Amino acid sequence: MEAEASSFETSEMLARFLGSTPLLPESWNLCGRSNVMAPQSFLTDEVGGVTYVAFSGVQSVDGLDPFCGNLVPLAGVFPVDAGMFPALEDTVMVDAGLLHLFWTIFHTPVFQNQMFEIKKKQKPVVFTGHSIGGAIAALSSLWLLSYLQSISSPPTVICFTFGSPMIGNEPLSRAIQRQRWGGNFCHLVSKFDILPRLLFAPLAPITTHLHNLLKSWHLTMNSPFFFQDPGNQLGDHEKSELFHFVLGYVEATARSPGTNLSFVPFGNFMFCSSDGAVCVDDATAIVRMLYLTFASGSPSSCIDDHLEYESYVGKISLQFLNRTEEEICESNTRIGRTPNLNSANLAIGLSKITPFRAQIEWYKESCDQSDDQLGYYDSFKLRGASKRDFKVFMNRIKLGEFWNSVIDMLEKNQLPHDFHKRAKWVNASQFYKLLVEPLDIAEYYRSGEHRKKGHYMKQGRPRRYKIFDKWWREREAFRENDNDNNSVSISGSGSNNRRSKFASLTQDSCFWAKLEEAREWVEKVSSESDPRHVVALWASIEKFEQYARGLVDRKEVSIDVLAKNSSYTIWVEELRVLKLHSQHFSTQIPGILDRKVVP
Amino acid sequence: MMEGSVGDRSGINESVIIKACFLAVKSHKSAVGYIKETGTDETVIFAFSGSWSVQDFYTSKPFGETKIDVSLFPSIKSIGNNELAMIYHGFFCRFQSVLQNPSFQNEKYTRSGNRPPCKCVTFGSPLVGDRIFTHALNRENWARFFLHFVGRHDIVPRITLAPFSSIRNEFHHILDFLNPNSRNFQKSSSLTSQDASAFFNKVLKNASSVASHDACNLMGSTNSLLEIISSFVELSPYRPSGTYIFCTGNGKMVHISNPNSVLQILFYSCQPDDESQVINTAKRSLCMDYINELNDSLLGMQDVVYLDDKMEIPLSSNGYDAASINTALTDLGLQKLENERMIDSNIPIIEKTQDLIAKYKQTCEDRRIGYYDAFKMQKDSEDFRENVRRLELAGKWDEIVEMLKRYELPDGFESRKDWIELGTKFRKLVEPLDIANYYRHSKDEDTGTYLRDGGRPKRYKFTQRWREHALRLKEGSSSETTFWAKVEQIRRKPFEETKEQIVALEKEVHEWVQKNELEKDVFLEKSTFAEWWKTLPERHRSESCLKGFNQKYLYNIQARLLDSSKNYQ
Repeated sequence: MEAEASSFETSEMLARFLGSTPLLPESWNLCGRSNVMAPQSFLTDEVGGVTYVAFSGVQSVDGLDPFCGNLVPLAGVFPVDAGMFPALEDTVMVDAGLLHLFWTIFHTPVFQNQMFEIKKKQKPVVFTGHSIGGAIAALSSLWLLSYLQSISSPPTVICFTFGSPMIGNEPLSRAIQRQRWGGNFCHLVSKFDILPRLLFAPLAPITTHLHNLLKSWHLTMNSPFFFQDPGNQLGDHEKSELFHFVLGYVEATARSPGTNLSFVPFGNFMFCSSDGAVCVDDATAIVRMLYLTFASGSPSSCIDDHLEYESYVGKISLQFLNRTEEEICESNTRIGRTPNLNSANLAIGLSKITPFRAQIEWYKESCDQSDDQLGYYDSFKLRGASKRDFKVFMNRIKLGEFWNSVIDMLEKNQLPHDFHKRAKWVNASQFYKLLVEPLDIAEYYRSGEHRKKGHYMKQGRPRRYKIFDKWWREREAFRENDNDNNSVSISGSGSNNRRSKFASLTQDSCFWAKLEEAREWVEKVSSESDPRHVVALWASIEKFEQYARGLVDRKEVSIDVLAKNSSYTIWVEELRVLKLHSQHFSTQIPGILDRKVVP
Repeated sequence: MMEGSVGDRSGINESVIIKACFLAVKSHKSAVGYIKETGTDETVIFAFSGSWSVQDFYTSKPFGETKIDVSLFPSIKSIGNNELAMIYHGFFCRFQSVLQNPSFQNEKYTRSGNRPPCKCVTFGSPLVGDRIFTHALNRENWARFFLHFVGRHDIVPRITLAPFSSIRNEFHHILDFLNPNSRNFQKSSSLTSQDASAFFNKVLKNASSVASHDACNLMGSTNSLLEIISSFVELSPYRPSGTYIFCTGNGKMVHISNPNSVLQILFYSCQPDDESQVINTAKRSLCMDYINELNDSLLGMQDVVYLDDKMEIPLSSNGYDAASINTALTDLGLQKLENERMIDSNIPIIEKTQDLIAKYKQTCEDRRIGYYDAFKMQKDSEDFRENVRRLELAGKWDEIVEMLKRYELPDGFESRKDWIELGTKFRKLVEPLDIANYYRHSKDEDTGTYLRDGGRPKRYKFTQRWREHALRLKEGSSSETTFWAKVEQIRRKPFEETKEQIVALEKEVHEWVQKNELEKDVFLEKSTFAEWWKTLPERHRSESCLKGFNQKYLYNIQARLLDSSKNYQ
């Protein structure tokens, strides 16, 4: 694949760029200090306006295995937007032992205070840690990134780990990719270090070895100047067993990619050796590199290299003093023109599908003016077998395919990194959503999917719309509405002017899905016998009624909503009748209709 | 490969270059900041002295940059984006003080008509402007007038790549050491090798940041790590511009004019061979003798490598493999050409679509209705079809605008005649349809009027600016295509409130009609404009400068219609 090849070529240049900044030396510096001074805890420091938080790599001085190699679900731990993390519910899993360590630190008042300060200051943050401290840093970053999702202009978060074990499974890696958080994680892995590869192997057979290994590492890390303690080292035979055992599993993983791995890398891996460094963000390439570099090591180097990050960081930040132009030139000779070209080709694609969209607009208008006065939602839902309806049906599918392919390319990093912030695409996707989602909802209820799967809002909404919601929410105030080549307006949410006429498109694209649920409530409420359920149903109905009336009053709905025979108009009428009808019972159920608080 | 001496290539005689170098050094002793002498072939040389005070270098911001003064440099900006170049504030102040010097103001050579354009030759000059500066020089095709000689190891051309905060401690020692007027000038006893190598390391490290960051972007890195790291560090805004000649120190020269390559080579050529060479290289970086160097390399047989020829050049000497760096970067530069080629391939379809819209306009006029009004009513399926065409064109033009916004097209794109013409045609023909659509959907109630900040699509703002820049027109003077938006805006308000605006608009209309920039459809009997104008108070109309127009234009159109019906018979 061209795209993969090109991203691999920038890897050295990217490592060079990172190496020229003070980020790595500052991070490592604090990691080293926290190893010595803050076992089982962390240190913070502020350098040049950046807050550094380093977690000690010494988390269990008694040598108890800090991780168990067992995965547990992460669900419910992080305050994430459930809609954006569809996989999170039960499939995202992390190592139970590492999660426990994170949890212990997270609940300390010191940590809570630090996080409070960070959230308040809105300054950039670096989470970092050596060894197991790196895993805690990664979990902390994940937590803060999830938290910051709900905040406008959040501070930048980056996580540097040094020789950290892997922390989670494939769904975690995928979720991070979908959130476009891969760039917030940079794992430094030295050529031979065993720890980052360890969790490819089952731990049970090597528990004793590990126990001793961690003990000796911790003693060394915990002593200033990394004095090696000769007494506690593993014997040559044990080292060799450990190395070959892990190597076997790393090799197996690398040779058969895509098999059901328990632990999977995520984010960027910066592989360092004495010759230089590369940054890689493709998971398959990372696994391959993890294997190839490890295989060239030896039983003793795989253990010693875990303690060599000091010298690697030094070399990386001095690499600008070494002329390695061959390497640079070689990597430069092939050109990574794909992302921009992809983006340009997509733009052509967009202009090609624009007529499809315009036809749907035309369809909407003709429905709105038609004699049956159904509005385009109901017209489409109740459509017959006319050629025109079929065409709209096909256009809807073509548009959906196009937008799915856009999202797919973005998630595979085949588009410029700021693609989803470009006004043209944000506006075009929003307009598409407002125009076409009602048709998708209509199709969903027309084909009875809701009876099979449940309501659209919960089960049926295509992921693309949720993503477009996010783009729209996060759009940088492009004060300019300009590249908007949409023929119907997208209102800026903050516009103070009251509309003098109805919007061209209903501003909440899920309006019809919400109505479908409200229809069901109205149906149910008359047949429901349990008074508690009746109360709950009435509350929901009233909530929707208020919401819908609000939209109508503010003229944020398109005219089709109010068409004489539209589902909404019919629903309003049904509700009126129902209310009249149920006034007879209002003595029985006081407080429902006149909105008093129900105890 | 095109051979030739540096003199032939640059149009400046070698002896003049050497004289200029000599004068440049001599000028350091000048009290007024510059000296003037006549060279061998009647060339007049102005030489400007350097400065060695920290204040002249760094002012407030970490990189001491300021927006360029457009009243002095009207072209040093991007046209469509209208971004002004950033330049070094300290250097600009020095320039201003020379400019205000009465003796300099009396120089009759400063501005004269038919002479060949002035040229600029620098020797070890720091970087002065940012990427917009470079972009503007390339667009105006002025880059060829700037020739910069840079010693391979000379640190001064790299200094502005580092923020002042990073070199604060050593900087004044360094300047003192470099100052020919100081008693410590080039005295090794006055500068510790620690200071020299610390300074060298910091500048080089920052140069590495800038060079690798730009290279990643040029290579189209999609890794969001790049963006995130960039938000943690502040990178120097300065970039090279013009043509560079690197002096390698052994009589050889390397000639490059691709600014991206120059940036990379500024960094790579300065690197020491290995860590043990740092102190030596740092010392060499502060002792550059341009007069000697140029005497050696310019006079007699020249040994120049021209890296502009997009060819693999074997460079045997000193492992200084600039050639392959350059080949790689020229390839990267090809991305912009590739983009341009793709955009150019749209020309026929744009022309065809625009022709179809022009035909629609004509059909409407034949029916005695302006296409603005017909489109606004959207009665017929024909109007709908034009809407699709409008959207197709908008897509194509927006793509150009998007690329320009990110400077992904060659620097000269916005001054290409064919595109300026096509853009003007597009704007005149299609912008009225956009306005019609805007008011048809009452977008003004959603987001404000079409003419508010950000209401008008960039595709029209850009194409208008192209024309204005090319014809050296005043900014905003070619806004006749927004005529309908002005009408819509005014006619929504009562006469008394808008009286002044109406008079101003009428004046503009009068002018545009004179210049043939507004078309007849505006004055058709049923047009939004004519209908609205008729509602204005009689008194106003009788005094208006447009009094006669309506009649006259109606008459003309009727005459033309008669003509065309004759042809059909």
